[in-house]
Amino acid sequence: MNDKRHDRWDVELDRFFALARQSTPDISGVERNFETRVMARIREGREPWYAWAWRLAPVFLVLTLLLAGWSIFYSPERPADPVAMLASGTQEIALLDHLTGE
Amino acid sequence: MPDEDAGLVREAIGGDDEAFAELVRRHKGTVLRRAARFARNQEELEDLGQETFLRVYRDLRSFRGDAPFGHWLSRITVRVCYDALRKRRREEKDVSLEVLAGPVADPSTTNGPSAQMARMILYQAMSRLKPEERLVITLFELEDRSVREVAELTGWSETRVKVRAFRARQALKRHIGGDDER
Repeated sequence: MNDKRHDRWDVELDRFFALARQSTPDISGVERNFETRVMARIREGREPWYAWAWRLAPVFLVLTLLLAGWSIFYSPERPADPVAMLASGTQEIALLDHLTGE
Repeated sequence: MPDEDAGLVREAIGGDDEAFAELVRRHKGTVLRRAARFARNQEELEDLGQETFLRVYRDLRSFRGDAPFGHWLSRITVRVCYDALRKRRREEKDVSLEVLAGPVADPSTTNGPSAQMARMILYQAMSRLKPEERLVITLFELEDRSVREVAELTGWSETRVKVRAFRARQALKRHIGGDDER
């Protein structure tokens, strides 16, 4: 009984294999221009490091422009007179000296 | 043709890209048809094909030329497909529904619903095999290769191939037949 069932599944399996053998894999989509894509990947892997530097050049350019723009347009308010600027710092020291009696 | 392949290999080693492209053009059909037995979709087939030729390009200098280029290429294709099966096995703990779709099949060659169903059942069951068992059963049963050829392609001994083919067949019968066969 068990042997018969065993045989049945062997036959069934062979039938499945026969059906699977008949089917031709569809490779047409991948086969088209396949060598072009392979060669592109090979060339990509062969690129020297400075090829990447050239590719990053636009990014560096944009960063430079942004920094230049920021340095031109960003100007925090400062006293125009340098003597007044110094005096504003020394006034506090003089007041402190006076209060502490030094 | 094999002599021409050897000449192209020499030119490719010398840096001639066009020679290597010609090798790819000549052998892409064979490589992709074999890889399609293991790929689940077109993207995976593209990956397997590209990986095969990238390895060929990388190892071109190790091709000694004492056997036809096609044989050497077949071994690399089998190795790439086996690696992909092992990687997939690590990633997938359970059989996903995607596997039910089976490998890439040409709709024009289907033999009606029963044939398609049989193939689906077979590939679903095959997806549950161990990578080495699936590789052996695919080469042995679907590509109709002899034990000796499978041994040459995989680098395993003939005894090991026979044992793995037997185990794969037993496992497939269990998967297809259900629990009553266990």
